[in-house]
This record gives sequence, C-alpha cells and structure tokens, in this order.
Amino acid sequence: MSANANVPNDDLTRSAPRGPRSRTMGVTAAVALAVVLLVVGLGAGYVLGDYVLGNKGSNSTTSGNGPSYTISESGSSLIYPLMLSLGPNFTKLYPNVVISPQSTGSGTGISLAESGKVDIGGTDAYLSPANATQYGLINVPIAISAQLIFYNIPGYSGHLNLNGTVLAKIYSGAITNWNDPEIAAANPGVNLPNLAIVPLHRQDGSGDTFMFTSLCYMSYSGWPYGYGTSVTWLKSSPSATGNAGMVTTLSTTKGGIAYIGISYLSEATAAGLSYAAVGDQAAISDGTNPANYILPTPQTISQDATLGLANLQPPSVAVSLILGGVPGATDLKLGGGGTLPSTADPTPYPIVNLEYTLIKISPSDATLQKWVVAFLEWALSFGNSATYMTPVHFLPLTPAVIGYDMQALQAVTVSS
Amino acid sequence: MDQPVLRGEGSVGAAGHADPVAAPTPASIAPARRTPWWAWALSPIALLPLIFIVLIALVLLFSGDLKLLFEPGFWSFNFYFNPLAPSQAVWAFPLYLVGTALTAGIALALATALSLALAISTTVYLPAWLGRSLGTLTNLLAGIPSVVYGIWGYVVLAPYFGLTLQPALRSYLGWIPFFGGPLSETASGTGVLLASLILTIMVVPLTTAIIRDSLVSVPHPLLEASFALGATRWETTRRVRLRVARSGVRGAVFLGFGRAIGESVAVAMVIGGQTQIPPSIYSGTSTVSAFLLYQQDSAFIYPALLHALVEFAVVLLLITLVFNYLAQRASGERGAVGPTSAAGI
Repeated sequence: MSANANVPNDDLTRSAPRGPRSRTMGVTAAVALAVVLLVVGLGAGYVLGDYVLGNKGSNSTTSGNGPSYTISESGSSLIYPLMLSLGPNFTKLYPNVVISPQSTGSGTGISLAESGKVDIGGTDAYLSPANATQYGLINVPIAISAQLIFYNIPGYSGHLNLNGTVLAKIYSGAITNWNDPEIAAANPGVNLPNLAIVPLHRQDGSGDTFMFTSLCYMSYSGWPYGYGTSVTWLKSSPSATGNAGMVTTLSTTKGGIAYIGISYLSEATAAGLSYAAVGDQAAISDGTNPANYILPTPQTISQDATLGLANLQPPSVAVSLILGGVPGATDLKLGGGGTLPSTADPTPYPIVNLEYTLIKISPSDATLQKWVVAFLEWALSFGNSATYMTPVHFLPLTPAVIGYDMQALQAVTVSS
Repeated sequence: MDQPVLRGEGSVGAAGHADPVAAPTPASIAPARRTPWWAWALSPIALLPLIFIVLIALVLLFSGDLKLLFEPGFWSFNFYFNPLAPSQAVWAFPLYLVGTALTAGIALALATALSLALAISTTVYLPAWLGRSLGTLTNLLAGIPSVVYGIWGYVVLAPYFGLTLQPALRSYLGWIPFFGGPLSETASGTGVLLASLILTIMVVPLTTAIIRDSLVSVPHPLLEASFALGATRWETTRRVRLRVARSGVRGAVFLGFGRAIGESVAVAMVIGGQTQIPPSIYSGTSTVSAFLLYQQDSAFIYPALLHALVEFAVVLLLITLVFNYLAQRASGERGAVGPTSAAGI
C-alpha cells in the first residue's frame, strides 16, 4: 500500500499513543455494529414492507374476536387528511378494520394502485378510462374540490373578473401587464395599475397544475403547452413548491398571480391575497359581461359538479369539471364545449374537480376487498357530510356522483 | 485479544521503527495466521455496496433504454414537455446541468476557502484541545440530514435574502458581473445565491474534515526541518504542510463537488425552479437533481417523463462517479492521506 510515507512514526504524532490493540478492537466493534445494524435493518425493513405493502395474507391476522384487516391507502396529499379523519371513525364502528393512509402524491398513488401494492390509491386527477380498463381499476370519487386564482396587486383587494382565455394568455406570455385592455374590459370601474404580471407555477408535479392547464387548454386555442400534472412553462414564470409554497411566494411577489387549491383559502386570505371571480362558459365568448363571472362558494362549486356530470353519456366520472364539463366526452376537447348554466344551476364555478380513489375491480384478496368496499360505501354515505369535508376544505359529493359510485362499487368482486 | 495482524498498510504499532521507508512487510514481523472463518463469512457484506451500484446501473440502463441520450432534443437548451404530445418533448439536459454546475461550483469555491482557513487554524494555530474539539464539531455537522439545511434555508434565510440582502448586494456590488442583474420578481429569496450558500454550508464540514486529516498527517520531521531552517509558522504551513497535503486538499475539493452536484432536497427547496439560464445570481434556475426530485410523481403518469428522468439519473450517476474517482486518484498521488480516510465520513 502507498500510505507508508505518512505513517505516524514518532512521539510527536497525536495518534501515536493509540496502539494497534485498540485499533483492532475498533475494527471488531465496527464490524459487529455493522452486522447488528444490518440484521436490525433487514428485520425492520421486512416488517415495515409487510405492513406497508400489505394484503399478501399478513394483514388479515386472527385475533381473539376473529380476523382483523388493514386497508392501505396511498396517494394525493389532499386526500390524506380526509383519510386520517375517516379511518379512525370507521374503525370505531368496525374495530377489526384499520385504514392506513399515506401521503405520497397522486402519480405514486395511481402507480401503486395499478400494481396492486395498495388497496386504495388516492388521486386528484382521474385515471384515464383506457388505463383503468388495462389495470382493472375503477375511479371512485369521494369528495369535491375546487381551485382558486389568487393575485397580489398592491392597493387592490377586491375580486377581479378573470376568464380562462385571459388566464391562458397570461401564462403563455400574450398578456404581460395588469392594465391590459382585455383585463380592463372585464373589470369596468377597477383602476388597474401599470404593473408587470408575474405568473407563478408549481415546481412539483401536481393535480392543481392538471386542473389549471386543463382550463387554459379548453379556453384558448393558442395555448401551447397541453395539460397535465407537469408541463412546460414560460421561462419568466417563477415557481413554488406545494400549495403552501405558492401562498408564501405569491405574498412576496408584487404583480403575481397563482393557482391555489381551495384547501388553502384561509392561509392565502391570512397572507393578504385576494382571489378572482372566474368566467364561466359564457365568458369565453362574452368576456365583458360581469354576470358571467362567478365567485367560488359551496353553492357555485356544487352547481358545477351537478352540471358537469348531468349529460355524460355513457355515465362516467372520469372527467374534469372545468367550465362545467364536456358533455358526452370522457376527455377534454379543444376550445371547451362545456355545459352552459341551466335554470336549476345558473352559476357554476368553472374550476372544480373530483377527488378520486382507485380500487381493483377483481382484487387478489376478495375478503379484504369486502372491507374496502364497505369502507368506501360508509365514506360515501355517513362520511359524505360537512362534518368530515369542511375541516379538510372539501365539499360533499352531489347525489349524481354518489349514485354513480354506488353503482360502480356493485361491480367489484368481493367474497361474502 | 489476539495479537494484531499487521497488514500491508504498514501501520507500525510499537514505537521504535525509525525508518518508515523500509517498513517491515507483514510476513517478516508477524507469523502468517489463518484468516478466521467470520472474516470470510463477512466479506460478501463488504461487497454489497459494489453489487448494489452495479445492479442500479444495470437496472437504469435496461429500463430506460438510454436512447434519449443520442437524440438532439436531450441536449437542447429549451425545455419543452407537452403531456398530450410526448414525442415532441425536448428535455434540455444541459440547461439543468448548468444550474447544477453553477451552484456546485460557487459552493465549492467558497467551501474550499473556508475549509482551508478552518483546517489551518484548528491544526496549526489554535491550542490542541480547542482545535480537536472544533474538528470533532465539524465532523458532527457533516452528519446533519440535508433536508434540515433545506428547510432552514427556505424558512429562515429566504425571506431575509429576498427582502433585505439581495437588494443590498445589488446596490453595493452591482458592478460585479452577475451581481448587477435583475432581482427575482418574487422577492422570495430563492435562487442561485441561496442554493449555493446552502450547499456551501453542507459541504464545508466534509471538506474541512478531509483537509484537516491531510494536514495533521504531514510527517513531523518535515515540519521540524522547516522550523530548523528558520521558517516561521506561516511559512512552514504554506510551503511544507500545504505542499505535502495538497493532494488531500484536491481530493477534498473533488469529493465535495461530487456531493454538491448530487444533492437534491436542500437545493430543490431553495433553487426557485425556473427552466432558464440564470441572468443573475438572484435568479431562479433548476438543477438535474431538483428536476429528478420534483418530477418523480408525474413520471408515474407519463412514461415519456419517466424515461427522461431515468436518463437524467444515469448521466448524474456517471458524473458523480467521475468526481469520486478523481477524488480517489488525487488522494492516491504521492501516497498522501486522502478523503477515504477522513474521520467520520
């Protein structure tokens, strides 16, 4: 070896007093420690893996009162708090069933549900019908959520009127200043400053990005980036991580605009941010009529969900409830389509989505799946109330969606 | 305990072997011993990391096809990904590489200067007890998880940077290139400057520990000789200590750079995440590892994105391996003490 030249060889060296004996002991101790850690690590990994990846026989263990079950859920960080509050209440009724949720992200939730590594996958964006068929999964919506458009314009704290076309132009660089005539036309009487618009986007892949880009894609034929959970953005568009990061960054960005989930309404309002009234389907063609701009409220969001699903043939929930949805389609179509406000639902807020759970239609463990279905049916009936939904800023599902869900759950293979 | 088996490292236990060049070979000093059974049994465990690295490389190679690497779009400077038209995607790897090299480069420049100062003062100038305690302290700092630095940077430093420090820097140092460019519109403080500083703080303990080790292990007779010739403490440090230990310093820089380019969490939290070549040190950009971190969830939905991520990861792995190899080689030169022997790392 090459280290000879530097070997400590006189009394001046600090390490000289440490003899070879202690060195050998050190090595032995290190090896012993490594072995112990390895054994402990492998053991812990095995137990954890078994617990997390579950349902291969080990999560139906027999205790004194009969078998008990652990239902694993993984996915969307928005659904996670809902699962945390639903799970223990279900366990109170059925002590032999435990719901074990994880916040991993919608993409991970879809992937784990597809490979059958979790019993329930949670996602903000629906699983496309083609993929659902391929992997034998069904989309089961469990809540309604919405997205708000916040901005930071010094000296202005009202609700601006903005529609999908204007938002798409801002995020594609066609509108760059708050005093743009197109914004002014929709906001008569508002004196907007000569201030550059700074469009913020999400750095991480996100269901919110999916919704917002869907709106842009459907509202403006010049939108160049398509729609999805991760897309290209303008180089001049700064980013933030998570809804919380969007709130923080927007609060220091003069002239900034950002799309933020309704779950963060109270945080954003506390940070001094205001949100827009968003133009519905009619505002795309008639952007100057203030009556076409709708503020997000529980009523307007529910109206959008009702309208969006009313005319779908065949009935489906795999749809974005953007602009009131696209009749007859299970995917988005360029330029919108959408459902115009009806007399029963005159003011639909246009950026709404369903929060989905994904479950296998022919599971490997039909006994466990009986409890998965029971849990979802309970969540859709007793759990579908303001008691559970309001604390996590969701809205209860509309009767149409519940009807669809219950029908879809009938098709799942369970053993009695 | 057994008598120590003296292996080829030539470590000399008992005092009195005066001539290090003619260090006794193991055979001459200790009788050949049988290797104990447990040493054989444990040796595969020592090979596990190597096996894992080879497996990771193979999996990455075969799952990603690596065909993107040979397409011009991968090497473009304009990122474009439309989930509706994945075949038109342009991945702009060099754009992210610029962000990585820039943040890691600034961090290493600062960290090297700081580490040299720290290592010299703790080994040469400060009293031994204080120097040793400070050395232990830097080693401890090396063990802090990077996410802690990231959160601290994002929550504590970023608002101060955005609202106070960056405008001040710009008005006083604006005549220096890249210091005079545009401030970030978000005033959030995230960007090249903050990311580089966070990386510096992360890397300093590592580089200091290695440099300290190589300074300490400079043979004392050389130092004594220098003093005997009338050199001052500073002259001895500069002309003897640092000269003998320079391969260790070089190794520390390479190893620190390797760590800085691979760091994802701490950097991703404060980098700003814009896909652009930063026009100033206040601007947001992105790095290869930040891109990997933040796009992995979407990658499960879009196969094209997953392919790109895998190939980003392969290239990042190769670059890291190159720098670790350079670190090894630098420390191997002239038989100096190198990074691999650094305490606690």
